[in-house]
Amino acid sequence: MLALKNKATNSLLRSEKKSLLRFLTLYVAMVIFLITLLSLFYYQSQEKLMLSDQRAMLTKYAYIQTRRLKVLHHFFPERVEYPRDPRFKSAIYDLEHMKIFSLLEDENVRFDAEEIYITNGHIHLVKMLDEFYLGTKYLVIEVKDSGAWRGEIWKNIITYGMVVFIFFMLFGLYLAKLFLKPMRDSIVLLDRFIKDTTHELNTPLSAILANIEMMDTDVMVEKNKTKLARINIAAKTVSVLYKDLTYLMLEEDQQNHDEEIEIKELIYNRVEYFSVLAQSKHIAYDLDLEESTIMMDRRKLTRVIDNLISNAIKYNKRNGTIGIRSREGLLVVWDTGIGIHEEKVPYIFDRYMRFNNSEGGFGIGLSIVKKIVDEYHISIEVDSKEGEGTKMVLRW
Amino acid sequence: MVKPIILCFGLVSCVFAQNAYERHCVECHKELPTSLQRMFMRYLLVYSGEENVKAGMKHYLKYPLKEISVMSDLFIDTYGIKEKTKLSDSEIDEALDIYWDKYKVFNKLK
Repeated sequence: MLALKNKATNSLLRSEKKSLLRFLTLYVAMVIFLITLLSLFYYQSQEKLMLSDQRAMLTKYAYIQTRRLKVLHHFFPERVEYPRDPRFKSAIYDLEHMKIFSLLEDENVRFDAEEIYITNGHIHLVKMLDEFYLGTKYLVIEVKDSGAWRGEIWKNIITYGMVVFIFFMLFGLYLAKLFLKPMRDSIVLLDRFIKDTTHELNTPLSAILANIEMMDTDVMVEKNKTKLARINIAAKTVSVLYKDLTYLMLEEDQQNHDEEIEIKELIYNRVEYFSVLAQSKHIAYDLDLEESTIMMDRRKLTRVIDNLISNAIKYNKRNGTIGIRSREGLLVVWDTGIGIHEEKVPYIFDRYMRFNNSEGGFGIGLSIVKKIVDEYHISIEVDSKEGEGTKMVLRW
Repeated sequence: MVKPIILCFGLVSCVFAQNAYERHCVECHKELPTSLQRMFMRYLLVYSGEENVKAGMKHYLKYPLKEISVMSDLFIDTYGIKEKTKLSDSEIDEALDIYWDKYKVFNKLK
């Protein structure tokens, strides 16, 4: 019972996991976006901080260089050697941004940008002079940017980013579980109810079918025989539905026990089982069965054949025919029933898809068939004409 | 008779051989104690770029005022301000172009 419960919960969790995955995908995308945005702001603020530190030093260099330019201005043209300093490179530009002289390694000078900026591994300070020594309006001071500050910033971004990401993920997981809990409780409740109901149907259904089998019809009056036949038909219809539900709820995930199955024998068995149903609609069988075998789980093959025969009976006309042909690697089930419109054929295997509301059922039979044949790599073809009948061809 | 003609011709050809700057600027400025180079540096100190320097000089030539002179008060008090120029705009521009090319700082620093 415990194993049953766990398996049930697991199958339920699949839909929950899907919702959880979708929520988390969206959440992760948002968290990554948020962390990226924060990292960008942090990077920019740290860069500004570094530049403001550099500004003080470069302003001092600019002051020194200005004084040297002043001297050079007064002695020009007797002295023409531009003042150099090992601590920095410099350049001078006039009012019209024309270069007067430059020692810069990176000549990409921005006059309309900020006073201090980083360009290609260099830091530039553009200082505007009040007195234009040698015509200099803009004095550019350049120092190399070691990039050490950048490494430190990246280290912080990665470390704190990971911590924040993990925190947000844990928080997100907690939130998701919190949000999904009511849905999960409802699903678990519904699932348990369906399972319990299905399980509880087994005993009375078996009792009904067994007692019908045991009844002595020879001593019955004709009127009662007919009534008993109706009970038998109804019980078998419920039995097929019960087996489909049991298969979906309880057996689907069970491990396969593949064995070599004689198809002819199994079909005779199932035809016999449905004979009462067929007789009720005066349906005749046209069996063309050759010896053939298939390696498959008996439960699953039985579900396939039961559903195909059950549908062939259910959607057949009165006095119609059901044909079953088996060859090595081939099984064909056809009927002379109402058929399906050509456009609807592609949706025939969809779960809960029903094309005729006059007959009972949940529309799960053919979806089970499709699932099983897909699992065993068996191809299934549907050939149906409205008003003429349907033919199902299985090949393996 | 031939000698004065040759002398006169020589003088004329000598005048026309000089450019606008030499004809209109150097002649007067050579009397002053401050060189044209130093004056140029003073203009640079105040006006910076080529266009600005030339515009400043041209304006002063046309409208000379003590208040807008780049020279020191001592210089102005001693030598006064120049007379308003009688040159045409094109002559001023030509002379200023030559003046700029002669004393500009570009390509002179090492």
